[in-house]
Amino acid sequence: MAQFTETVEKLVSIVGKEHVKTEPDDLATHAVDNLKPKAVVFPKDTQQVSKVVELASRENLAIVPRGSGSKMSMGNPPKRLDLVVCTSRMNHMIDVDTSNLTITVEAGVKFRDIQARLATEEDRCYLPLGDLTSQADEAICSDRSHSGCFLPIDPPFSDIATIGGIIATNSTGPRRLLYNLPRDMILGVRLVAPSGLIAGAGGKTVKNVSGYDTSKLMAGSLGTLGIMCEMTFRLLPLPEKMATLLLSFESFSDASKVAKQIFDTTLLPAAVEVMNGATFTAMNIKDAPGFEPGEYVVVVAFEAFQEAVDRMRSEIKKMGLDLGAKSDASLDDASHQRFWLAVSELEGMLARKFSGLVCAKLNYRISEWEDVYNFCQKVLSDSKIDYSLQAHAGSGICLLRLLIAESDGETTEAAARALEKMLQKSVEAGGNLVIQRAPASAKGKLRMWGELSPDFIVMRRLKEQLDTSGIMSPGRFVGGL
Amino acid sequence: MDNKELAERLREIAGKDYVLTSDMDRMLYSYDASLEKAIPDVVVLPNSTEEVSKIMSLAYREKIPILGRGSGTNLTGGSIPVKGGIVVHFSRMNRILEIDIPNRTATVEPGVITLDLQTEVLKKGFIYQPDPASQKVSTIGGNIAENSGGPHCLKYGVTSNHILGLEVVLNDGTVIWTGGKSRDNPGYDLAGLFVGSEGTLGLVTKAILKLERAPETIKTMLAIYETIEDGANTVSAIIAEGIVPATLEMMDNPVMRAVEETIKVGYPLDAAAVLIIELDGMPEGMDEKAQKIMEICKQNNVREVKLAKDDAERDLLWAGRKGAFGAVGQVRPSYLCCDGTVPRTKLPEVLNKVMDISKKYDVPIGNVFHAGDGNLHPLIMFDERNKDELKRVLKASTDILKACVDVGGTISGEHGVGLEKLKETSFIFCENDIEFERHIKKAFDPDDFINPGKMIPEPVCEQ
Ligand SMILES: Cc1cc2nc3c(=O)[nH]c(=O)nc-3n(C[C@H](O)[C@H](O)[C@H](O)COP(=O)(O)OP(=O)(O)OC[C@H]3O[C@@H](n4cnc5c(N)ncnc54)[C@H](O)[C@@H]3O)c2cc1C
Repeated sequence: MAQFTETVEKLVSIVGKEHVKTEPDDLATHAVDNLKPKAVVFPKDTQQVSKVVELASRENLAIVPRGSGSKMSMGNPPKRLDLVVCTSRMNHMIDVDTSNLTITVEAGVKFRDIQARLATEEDRCYLPLGDLTSQADEAICSDRSHSGCFLPIDPPFSDIATIGGIIATNSTGPRRLLYNLPRDMILGVRLVAPSGLIAGAGGKTVKNVSGYDTSKLMAGSLGTLGIMCEMTFRLLPLPEKMATLLLSFESFSDASKVAKQIFDTTLLPAAVEVMNGATFTAMNIKDAPGFEPGEYVVVVAFEAFQEAVDRMRSEIKKMGLDLGAKSDASLDDASHQRFWLAVSELEGMLARKFSGLVCAKLNYRISEWEDVYNFCQKVLSDSKIDYSLQAHAGSGICLLRLLIAESDGETTEAAARALEKMLQKSVEAGGNLVIQRAPASAKGKLRMWGELSPDFIVMRRLKEQLDTSGIMSPGRFVGGL
Repeated sequence: MDNKELAERLREIAGKDYVLTSDMDRMLYSYDASLEKAIPDVVVLPNSTEEVSKIMSLAYREKIPILGRGSGTNLTGGSIPVKGGIVVHFSRMNRILEIDIPNRTATVEPGVITLDLQTEVLKKGFIYQPDPASQKVSTIGGNIAENSGGPHCLKYGVTSNHILGLEVVLNDGTVIWTGGKSRDNPGYDLAGLFVGSEGTLGLVTKAILKLERAPETIKTMLAIYETIEDGANTVSAIIAEGIVPATLEMMDNPVMRAVEETIKVGYPLDAAAVLIIELDGMPEGMDEKAQKIMEICKQNNVREVKLAKDDAERDLLWAGRKGAFGAVGQVRPSYLCCDGTVPRTKLPEVLNKVMDISKKYDVPIGNVFHAGDGNLHPLIMFDERNKDELKRVLKASTDILKACVDVGGTISGEHGVGLEKLKETSFIFCENDIEFERHIKKAFDPDDFINPGKMIPEPVCEQ
């Protein structure tokens, strides 16, 4: 312990006294899967991160980076933990070049602040700013670019998540159907490698084949290859019109038929979600008072030119009514935005309500989504666990949330058995099942990253090459990397 | 192992007709579309992943340099065997293995010609978006290695945004699949890393590509300008209006002249530049947007802007653009294409600098490029036999890349670093950045025998 006091002094000399926390309370709130760090560090910029990591590398201290903490329950429990490095002070927007449609920000910038900064003068923004409960970073948002652009990703926790955390987890939402993934939006990165070296790649051009595409390697690597400190993204102009159509059905086969029919047209919706009634009800949507959710709800988002939105909405509504939709509703502009914010906040909301909440993401060949969805329903009703099930139809992704009020040995066993069956199903359908949230106590019973794929041998080589002493988030990632 | 024995072993693997050793044959594999040249020891044309795997194991055991080759159209020396060794030519592995419409994917071998695949999927109403101007000749394997772009990449992204999975032969011959038809597979994004790695990490033997539905409508416009600057300003103004067209391609007078001398599409020879603007998607709202774009052109002093009336007119506009490099190649013996890329708002500034550089070194430069992406392609025209001219050309090229980097751009948008731009990597990278890349390379190829000497400069001084 005496030795660690010296380390703390060195940390203090890098970031300043008030930015190193060692009080038991601080260590407890920054624990990762109940494992407490020895210190929590808040560097202010890339240089400081570099010095902290260099120190850790010299003294063989294990680091877990942290943004706002919304997704800390992902992954395996770390094998060891000394320092949690928080990016919250790294919240500067380095370059907002909206006429070039790019933005460069530090890792700790909040997603909501990026969108706010890009809003128009009249506050037209991709997120419904007035409905966010989180506090805006005034310093950042007072300096508006008034451009009417947005960063085209819609991750969960969009009110609190930092951009670094979103990219490190390659966190996506329903509208990936139209806009693609965060890994497709990132153009450049400056990172601190596990040795402490600052390295960069890419830049602010949308095309760049100068060196390896390090940004793609870092996206989704969960802090196991280094700490991403600065990132550049491509932007899009805000869609001229945004609207959402809700359709409810009593049977899954009718609900899925609508989704399938949409998929067979040349229409370009931003999202096509098929969710069970429990999912819809949990979101507590107030903007569609007359809408009756029923057993299944199909939600279609449109973000395009006005005329194109009008056509898509009327054609898809007709499809729905022809297939016997029980109820329908339309949400325009602000209510559209509030709806998708509620989707984004759902996991966090459920986590507050169900302390044993387990969330999983299933991926599979997109054509097999109905089969996978049906299978999940069957397994879950057999095992008598309440659940929310939401398929990103057309993207080959399904989000599952097990609504477990309090986790005990028995429920954990039941959940683990059900998840194992669904994992096998996803693997048969060409994919996998990743558990994105589970109580720390249950993790020992769960396969957090699903099944290992044959390319794991290369992943291990990369990890060993880049993080020689294994200090970056050791053990948290796939296969215990 | 001497070359004779090497050839013998390769014949055992690939069959006697598919190993080339004559001087003439090896000479044919000594160049690509760049100015670099080097002769391989042997060329092999495998027919399957198993054969590639065996070839790779052999090279691995014997530490013989090895590299893959598609059609040899890359512009930076990527397929030049600078250290000799084996060239693996993928021309026989050119099968489209599956077009899977329900899953929106195509699975292909690396030797498939880009346009052949695109033609096949279009028959089913689908598109594979990345469309390099060389698509008639280039292969998917080459496109993956170079992360190729094309006119439609403004709206749809480059090759890496359309690759879902890869089968790769690793350094020791091990075959792995990374990614697949399903998305979001857990683990590092190795497919993302392979794309654009210039064939330095392994050999790609199969690829799963993402397909998209063909748009309902396409509108193509040609805008004619008295100055390049007006054209470049139009590009920024369109984007600023909140419209992202499928394409914003530009061509200047010297290139138009070359096109008219060879292909004849009817470009106005007294104009300074033309812009090809294309919108695609659902027809609703498109007329208004086309109208808006034409207004923007007018605000930027366009001489004339016309809308292609039908497919024939559209094809003609494109024939000129896609044939531009070839046309330049026909009117002058050689050209060097610089691939510098800049934030698009810097286009007017950099284009002016390019013209200054042209004057400074007394070399003619034509411009034909992906303006919407800020991806320049100054074509420096010259005669390779004139050694003095060649020297000036190389200096001009370096100056152009420097000018791009100075305004926040980069040295290559889509052609890669290869051999040609090794020196210029110092404009954008510091030693640490390159060290990180070396670690990545080492994880895949610690012996440095897979396409050695490319993309990553050697350390300045070894310890
Ligand atoms: C007239 C002309 C126009 C062009 N227009 C464009 C354009 O618009 N956009 C653009 O991006 N490029 C363009 N290019 C450049 C070139 O066509 C592209 O780089 C193309 O992708 C190269 O494909 P290829 O099959 O010819 O590959 P090659 O030149 O044979 O090889 C390129 C690289 O890929 C590697 N490679 C090939 N196959 C494999 C494999 N199976 N596994 C691993 N590595 C492999 C090689 O080792 C080499 O490093 C143009 C070139 C010309 C000559």
